[in-house]
Amino acid sequence: MSDRILIVEDEPNIVESLRFILERADYDVHSISDGRAALERLREQPYSVVVLDIMLPGMNGLDVLRAVRQDDKLAHLPVIVLTAKGQAQDRRAAAKVGANSFITKPYSNAEVVKRVGEFAGR
Amino acid sequence: MTQKLTGLKIRAYRKERGLTQADLAQRVGISAPYLNLIEGNRRPVGDALLKRICAELDVGIAQLDGGAERRLVQALEELAADPRIGDARGRPANAEELVGRHPDWSDFILRLFRAYEDQRQAVLALADRLNRDPFLGENVHQMLTSAASLSSAAEILAGGNLSEEERRRFDAIVQADGARLSKTARALLGFFDNTEMRIRSATPSEHVDSFILQENNHFPALEALAESFPGSFPHGGFEDAAPLREGFSESGHAVAAPETRRFALMKQTAHRIGREAVAEIVSGHLALPSEESRDLARAALHSYLAGAMLMPYERFLEAAERHRYDINALCRQFGVSYEQAAHRLVTLRRPGAEGVPFAFMRSDVSGHVTKRLPLPGLALPRYTTACPLWVIYGAFQTPEITVRLYGELPSGDQFLFFARAVDKTPPRVGYPRKLLSVMMACPASEAGRVVYGDGLDRGSAVVPIGTVCRLCPREECVYRQEEPLIAGSDISDKRRMATDI
Repeated sequence: MSDRILIVEDEPNIVESLRFILERADYDVHSISDGRAALERLREQPYSVVVLDIMLPGMNGLDVLRAVRQDDKLAHLPVIVLTAKGQAQDRRAAAKVGANSFITKPYSNAEVVKRVGEFAGR
Repeated sequence: MTQKLTGLKIRAYRKERGLTQADLAQRVGISAPYLNLIEGNRRPVGDALLKRICAELDVGIAQLDGGAERRLVQALEELAADPRIGDARGRPANAEELVGRHPDWSDFILRLFRAYEDQRQAVLALADRLNRDPFLGENVHQMLTSAASLSSAAEILAGGNLSEEERRRFDAIVQADGARLSKTARALLGFFDNTEMRIRSATPSEHVDSFILQENNHFPALEALAESFPGSFPHGGFEDAAPLREGFSESGHAVAAPETRRFALMKQTAHRIGREAVAEIVSGHLALPSEESRDLARAALHSYLAGAMLMPYERFLEAAERHRYDINALCRQFGVSYEQAAHRLVTLRRPGAEGVPFAFMRSDVSGHVTKRLPLPGLALPRYTTACPLWVIYGAFQTPEITVRLYGELPSGDQFLFFARAVDKTPPRVGYPRKLLSVMMACPASEAGRVVYGDGLDRGSAVVPIGTVCRLCPREECVYRQEEPLIAGSDISDKRRMATDI
């Protein structure tokens, strides 16, 4: 069975490209655009890796990540932050709330697939 | 002042101890009316008498003559002179009395003012942030998002092996995000244009700055006039320019350096021969809306003309190229001061015969910027001090010796900076030394033409600098004095991230 990946991103064109490259790499790709809804989804369904934007409607990505780490069942879920907020303080803020990896936009498709692969245990 | 405070304090302590003027006067051996005069600050009190009064009142002399009160008086006087709080006509003049009678209230007023000042600074910072951040932040984020989408879709298209339907989908994404990127970039461009409009100068001297910049600091009519003037000047002093001495008063210049005297003479000549040409340039110029700004502009143009007569354009440009912009060599050849030669270099902007483009900035030791001529891509601060790493400040450590640096701004633009602190001490005994630092900067790409770039390795010796701390995104900079107001993008950081991915 393919690893399930959740993309939390509100920009539809980026979702489409990410979905395409990750499906080509044989992942089962799901997406959601709202931070709060993403947290609910993660509590309901199992995922191997989350690709998480920071600037999201509803609840921002860092708050989602903080809530994930405080949830016993999700505390160890691999989360890759993928964001346009690429300054040193953003990187530090993401690390502080428990991001496993940090990729800035614009990104390379190959890099995203590689990082997801690392956390999916491939 | 001390005496005034002392009288008031004697009165306060006397009352505190329940003594009448007659009681205290009798105990210290003076008349009550005389004590009244002392307490009313109308008579000084001698040391011996003060000691007796202190003994009777059981206070130390320091309590009647404290430094703290003096500082309080000074601070209140400064506060009263603050134009934001009161006007000159209604300025309270009796700070000493206030401190003498009501030290606690005086201290309270001062603390109140400091609190107000802190709040004012906070409000300014917040207003600045509110003005800029939401729009900038949102648009920069939008640009990066579009760029991410565009590059990701382009990579997919370049990778090939797509169905016709997939190709159409990603083509459409490239088109849409390309259009969105352009739209956001145009919006940002408009924002910066408008920002420039909003911060355009508001005082006469700032109007003159804008006027000079609009004209690219080059005035062809004055250059032509200078070149047509007979006997463009051999240097050597007044004897060389004897015909021009008529009407020149030496008062005030008699003890100045020879090049200063020559320039002053030439400026008088410029006033005489350049009046019409200068009036024509200034008249009706949109950047000069007030008579005061036009007066200042006329003075600046007369100086410009004087400089052009002492350093005629073609000859000066040829010499500058030959000496590779060595300012000291130019000073010697044209008999002018360092600052005059440096300023003339900035005016070499004749289309088709340009010199190296230079920015020019002059500062005193307190950091007060007294002249600034920026370059595209290199903003020079007007109201505040520049980045502490700029050589304009370092030059004060070694007066009369040029210091230089390759600096990279957060935008990634690199410039060669060089500066020299020149001695402008008035030639009078006992005056403190007066140094002015003159800094020039040219794009690093032009540094090969300039002697000041020699021996500096642009590959390894480029120093990351900013313009002013509040607008600089280099968070880790150990020279930082203020927190940045705008969350910018640190290029070195971006580079690091690019290699991470």
